[in-house]
Amino acid sequence: MSLLLKKHPALAWIALVVFASLCSLAVVWAQKNHAPAPAAPVAPNEPKPKPHPVTIKPGPATPRLDTGLKDPTGQPITAACSTCHSTTTPNVARNSAHDLFQAHRGLDYAHGSLTCLSCHNAKDYDTLHLADGRGVAFPDVMTLCAQCHGTAMRDYLHGSHGGMNGHWNLAQGPRVRNNCVNCHDPHHPKFPLVRPVLPPRDRISVPTGH
Amino acid sequence: MNDPTPASPKTSCGSGCSCASAPNDEGNSTRRSVIKGLGATLGVAAYAKALAPLTELTKETSMDEFLQKHYKELSKEEIATVIARLTRETKEKYGADVTISDPKPQEGVKFGYALNLSICNGCRKCAEACHLENNHDRASHQSYIRVFEMSKGSMDFEKGNVHYDHPVPQPDKYYMPVQCQQCEHPPCVDVCPVEATWKENDGIVVVDYNWCIGCRYCEAACPYHARRFNWQKPQIPAAEVNPDQGYLSNRIRPQGVMEKCTFCLHRTRNGRLPACLEACPTGARVFGDLNDPNSEVRYVLENKRVFVLKEELGLKPQFFYFFDE
Amino acid sequence: MSDPAVSPSKPVPEWRQYLRFAWNAFSQSVEGGWKFYVWMTLLTAIFLVGANAWALQVRDGMAVTAMSDHVSWGLYIANFTFLVGLAAGGVMMVIPAYLYHDEKMHDIVIIGELLAIAAIIMSIMFVVCDLGRPDRFWHMMPGLGKFNFPVSMLTWDVIVLNGYLLINVHICGYLLYKRFRSQPPVAKMYVPAVFLSIVWAISIHTVTAFLYCGLGGRPFWNTALLAPRFLASAFVSGPAFIIVAIQIIRWQTGRMFGEGAIRTLVAIIRITILISLLMVASEVFVEFYTGGSHTGAAKYLYFGLHGHNELVPWIWTALAFTITAVILFMQPKVNRRPLILNTACLLAFVGLWIEKGMGMIIPAFVPSTLHEIVEYRPSLTEWKITAGIWALGFMIYTLLLKVTINIHSRKLKDTSGVRTVAPDDALAMGDGSGFV
Repeated sequence: MSLLLKKHPALAWIALVVFASLCSLAVVWAQKNHAPAPAAPVAPNEPKPKPHPVTIKPGPATPRLDTGLKDPTGQPITAACSTCHSTTTPNVARNSAHDLFQAHRGLDYAHGSLTCLSCHNAKDYDTLHLADGRGVAFPDVMTLCAQCHGTAMRDYLHGSHGGMNGHWNLAQGPRVRNNCVNCHDPHHPKFPLVRPVLPPRDRISVPTGH
Repeated sequence: MNDPTPASPKTSCGSGCSCASAPNDEGNSTRRSVIKGLGATLGVAAYAKALAPLTELTKETSMDEFLQKHYKELSKEEIATVIARLTRETKEKYGADVTISDPKPQEGVKFGYALNLSICNGCRKCAEACHLENNHDRASHQSYIRVFEMSKGSMDFEKGNVHYDHPVPQPDKYYMPVQCQQCEHPPCVDVCPVEATWKENDGIVVVDYNWCIGCRYCEAACPYHARRFNWQKPQIPAAEVNPDQGYLSNRIRPQGVMEKCTFCLHRTRNGRLPACLEACPTGARVFGDLNDPNSEVRYVLENKRVFVLKEELGLKPQFFYFFDE
Repeated sequence: MSDPAVSPSKPVPEWRQYLRFAWNAFSQSVEGGWKFYVWMTLLTAIFLVGANAWALQVRDGMAVTAMSDHVSWGLYIANFTFLVGLAAGGVMMVIPAYLYHDEKMHDIVIIGELLAIAAIIMSIMFVVCDLGRPDRFWHMMPGLGKFNFPVSMLTWDVIVLNGYLLINVHICGYLLYKRFRSQPPVAKMYVPAVFLSIVWAISIHTVTAFLYCGLGGRPFWNTALLAPRFLASAFVSGPAFIIVAIQIIRWQTGRMFGEGAIRTLVAIIRITILISLLMVASEVFVEFYTGGSHTGAAKYLYFGLHGHNELVPWIWTALAFTITAVILFMQPKVNRRPLILNTACLLAFVGLWIEKGMGMIIPAFVPSTLHEIVEYRPSLTEWKITAGIWALGFMIYTLLLKVTINIHSRKLKDTSGVRTVAPDDALAMGDGSGFV
């Protein structure tokens, strides 16, 4: 090598120049690539079009009990809760699922330490009640839930809790949001176990059990 | 190399080559020529036979497609022509009537996605929605989303498993769906030798399916296993083809090219929510405009315990994971 | 063919002379005895099997390979990597010959350069066979398509590989042409290219290593040792191949030459194979002593991971071969005993083919970036295509060597004025400067 360089000193220079230019090329590119992205143009304060509505699916209608009987036209005969409960005295002692009988037998109930009358309104069984005793209609159940689940409600109001459909951009279309009880069974709010869908397939599908 | 043919010692040239054709060699030479001609003919025939399968490709790939320019160089009219051709071809090949649109990024919008690990229950409905929305090959269960069943107390994917098939969620597990993270510095874009993939202004990394050469370098470069290759022509029954298609997103991809999650840009660029979000039964997914301080996704970033996958790689994902418990 | 317009006073332009030479060289190279035809027919048959497999792969999609979204590169890229090394290794003949004026290397330096030509063509073919859309190859051509230079390392690779091919074609073509014309080569026409080829040989393998080691998401590749390791192993596989090639040529032509060159090459291999092994050892140490998730690939490669051990036999075969080769090369009698020498060369060659191919490419994908384990075993199609390309490579190398031998032994030459090359050949109307 030394022999070569003695004979052609220019070679060393050429090598140096090539190396230096490659380095600077790389540096220039790295700069270009990692420079902070130019700030996205902020939309000027033009009058925004009237946003489309966000609809929250209503809670269930006031429930009615299926008596198991049919009317002459074949329609099932249902009864309001108050049909029975107006003639009985509320028994605050009955508070767990296995204590219940008649129409409520077998109810899957697991909602913290709440009792039936924490939510159901003993004064009017066709409604629910808030902690301060005010009645609340079944479709407005979210107000009731929010009393305890404040953080969930806060996230819900910020759009980071609860499923939805429609548009992220309300300027372009409406959105429909789930109500608490669309997903959570009020008597058993914890999600049930579900069977996963669409198992992934690999070319050589190896169910790795590790 | 070694040459056993009887040599003609007079020629300076070694025997066996045509240059050695002294007059007395003529008969030999003619015979050789005939044999050689025969050999050459047979050879050409064999080549033609061997490569015959290629001729069947002309049915699949039209000349227009072969000569098509890069997406960014197509004029509005050319795009319209290409879309008309693709629509026609989809009808011919899949028997489905589809509408292919080419929505552009919205001014000033930058998409972000956040996923709540506290409530994801691993049902894989998002993966299924992706499968259906994006016209994935049916038999391979292809989807841009892979859901990992992770051990509580560990972020190590090595302890994760995608092939779980039991009721979920299991008490000692949490679930982590992974899809394209739409990196700010996407390595897949850097490595592409033909600029067939790039990052759009709204942050979505897209692929020009008609420009990709299928070298799969991007698939090797992606640290999130976000890219998919069309190992063969996708098979979808006509009735199951999603007719609402985007040129850069869910139109049926050709064989031999890369594809990836595009945040459903044919939906999201029209203001709609991505299909995986709508399918999520737990509301674990939050999508929105990172540039809008009042957006849902910004709320998550500012108020939750957020992290990104493999942050140490410095790719700045625009897909965030968070906990709320 | 003799053109009356071309009179001795008006010499035929050089480029036409060159084309004549090329045509002569080609037409002569396909002439030979029955052994030659059997060899070429065999290679053609294998090549056709590969060509057919490739045509089917293009038609039916890459699904006919065993690759997957998890292991997205396989046997093709493994061979590509190895062959780039082989091409770079060819230059190991040039360095002693031109940098250190090792006269005994001068004569046969072309054998290495021809190897580089064949290996580069093969490596390019392997890349083409790995493409999902070879019909869109033109998208890569600068000017016609979009060439993502300098950001994509693959574009660098395209440049250096094609550049290396051109440089070597130029050097070999020029030297052979001059000998064919019985003219002494002009140093300024090829010596700069020779020196360029030395730097370039290093660059092709460095850039190829950079293809892999620049990917942050693949810890198995993400090591600065990759490029040096590639180079060290290239400077084993190249010389090993050439040593065997020289002996085959000697055996076939009955001409004794290259004994000194073989000694020099053995001396080179003795060093490079140890460096190569040392680098493997330090990689293994770092991987296993550090531990952690990033060791998954190395664990999978050497011992299997979670019951998956497809690559374990491969890598241990490679290690056994390489270590045996080291032991054999270290024997002083390796220079006197062709059997030992050739066994050592073959073991080193195959060992490195595995280590740098299957052992280098596949573990980067297993476990995947998200630690899924999907294994890979090349499909029949992949083996067919691989065999086909190797057969074509051997064909090209055989023909190139044949031309070279013909010219060097002056079997094929421009015999100015004497019509022995081909009747009515314009070459024969040359300038008459030949000195034979």
